[in-house]
Amino acid sequence: MIAAARASDLPRIASINACTDQLLLALADPEQILGLGPYSRDTARSWGAADAHRYPRLSGEAEDVLVLKPDVVVAGSFTKLATRTLLKEQGLRLVTFDVAHSLDEVKAQLRQMGELTGHPDRAAALNARIDAAAARTRQLVARGQYSVLSISRRGWVSGSRSLISSLLAEVGLSNAAGELGLKYGGFASLEAIISLRPDFILVSNDSEFAEDEGRAFLLHPALERFYPPSKRLVVPERMTVCGGPMVVDALDRLVAELERVERTASAPARSAITTR
Amino acid sequence: MVTADVAAGRRTSVIVALVLLVALLTLASLAVGPVRLSPLAVVDALFGGGDEVQRVIVQEIRLPRAILGVAIGAILGLSGAALQGLLRNPLASPSLFGAPQSAAFGAVLVIALGLADVRSYALPVAAIVMAFLSVFMLLSVAGRNAGLLILILAGLAISSLAGAATALAMNLSSNPFVALEIAFWLLGSLADRNFRHVILAMPFILAGAAILFSQRSALRALSLGEETAQSLGVNVGVLRLVVIVGVALGVGGAVAVTGTIGFIGLIAPHLMRPLVGYDPGRLLLPSALSGAALLLAADVAVRIIPSTSDIKVGVLTSLIGVPFFLYLIVRERRALGGGVA
Repeated sequence: MIAAARASDLPRIASINACTDQLLLALADPEQILGLGPYSRDTARSWGAADAHRYPRLSGEAEDVLVLKPDVVVAGSFTKLATRTLLKEQGLRLVTFDVAHSLDEVKAQLRQMGELTGHPDRAAALNARIDAAAARTRQLVARGQYSVLSISRRGWVSGSRSLISSLLAEVGLSNAAGELGLKYGGFASLEAIISLRPDFILVSNDSEFAEDEGRAFLLHPALERFYPPSKRLVVPERMTVCGGPMVVDALDRLVAELERVERTASAPARSAITTR
Repeated sequence: MVTADVAAGRRTSVIVALVLLVALLTLASLAVGPVRLSPLAVVDALFGGGDEVQRVIVQEIRLPRAILGVAIGAILGLSGAALQGLLRNPLASPSLFGAPQSAAFGAVLVIALGLADVRSYALPVAAIVMAFLSVFMLLSVAGRNAGLLILILAGLAISSLAGAATALAMNLSSNPFVALEIAFWLLGSLADRNFRHVILAMPFILAGAAILFSQRSALRALSLGEETAQSLGVNVGVLRLVVIVGVALGVGGAVAVTGTIGFIGLIAPHLMRPLVGYDPGRLLLPSALSGAALLLAADVAVRIIPSTSDIKVGVLTSLIGVPFFLYLIVRERRALGGGVA
């Protein structure tokens, strides 16, 4: 075996999915990482973008993975089936990670990647940090329940069974997507969002620049009227798009954002609500 | 004299009926949407009554959509009528000539490069430049008295080129969502637009419309043949250029905010010819009105037809437009076959 000939017996791993990139970066030794997915260096969506620069960027297709001859390839359940099949047919060990829908699933994935990389101790430490962050936020949020709708470009709403929902629940917020009948997420019309009137909306950035029509949706005057910056919780995509060690940051950010909107909106908004 | 009076009276009544129809469809466009509002609540909200949510839904979400429906439908119908008059050819229309597709390429280039806000004037300007280039290119390739077949083939080539260029622009973009965004956008939609879009498109649409209307007597003279028109003092070369500029301004401005919406320009003049006659000058206003009515009706329909996600209005106009186009081809088969049949 080639692996046995190397100094370290730990498996060498290639990742071709944005979320497995994050898990791998968090747990593996640098020499174990043979390559990361095409979006690993995207600073907006990849939490480990800065680290990712140290590793080869793969195309996400089969070819460059085959050349690397990794011991394990990690992929997402949304990675192209043709690519996954091809890799398996070439005799590679392929491990597929599903999308994490809750904090518990995030912890399970960290454990699984910990086993895979041969570093279960690191996974246990990260999971302890997540538990600590969750406990910390629960202490802080003995306040009233607010309803929140997480809206992305084009009106995509994170469903009631999603990681966002789980994060919101930890912070004492309820996901209003359930009232729209969206379990796994879906598109909501501007009219439906406005009629639902959740207390806050959760968005991934607060810039006023609309690089495309999808982003312009979030800047529609009707939405901005009911949800000015003081009604928008801003949590960057790189903290929420995948499950992994970044959920700690996501929880802390949510608490900070909640404190910000409560502070800026406290006196005038309260009186406005009571007069309605 | 008597028959002329009758024709004029008939034309007036057609125009009045069309204006009423457009007004009615505008109200319908304000009344339908994902949130159910009674017609009374809609009227109330339109004039500042009702609760805040209803007011915002009607005034800020549905009203700009309805206004864009009227303006864009009208400019597409008008452009179709003007092009058909200019080329003395019933199959002429902006979408068959690749003008909207080219305008879309211009706008897509701006989106893909990510340099400008999609709600800035960069979009309509890029769309207008491309629309102008495409129609100009088409008419230069096809020549002055081109037959139907040549025009359609040249139009096909230009729309294919625009489509390929659009796909290339998508690949070169660094925005990972751009492919989906542009795919959605190319289908053409009026959903969730706002007054910023109205302000963006309106100057160009109005300018285009004014230019096209100003040429109505020249178009009328041209219908008598190029020599006759020239003897009546019409400079056909200038007329050509002016109509192209008008169409490019109107179609470019429209495409920049809604994406490509096809076939309105083809259908609208055909619906009006049996009613108001074949004079291209007199066909302009009725075609604009019927274009507005067609687009409004299509945009109301996409909101009524039950579906899991929103149907794009451009898809619906093509579903109606393509069979209509095929019917026209059957009707014009003899001319297309070059007199062989």
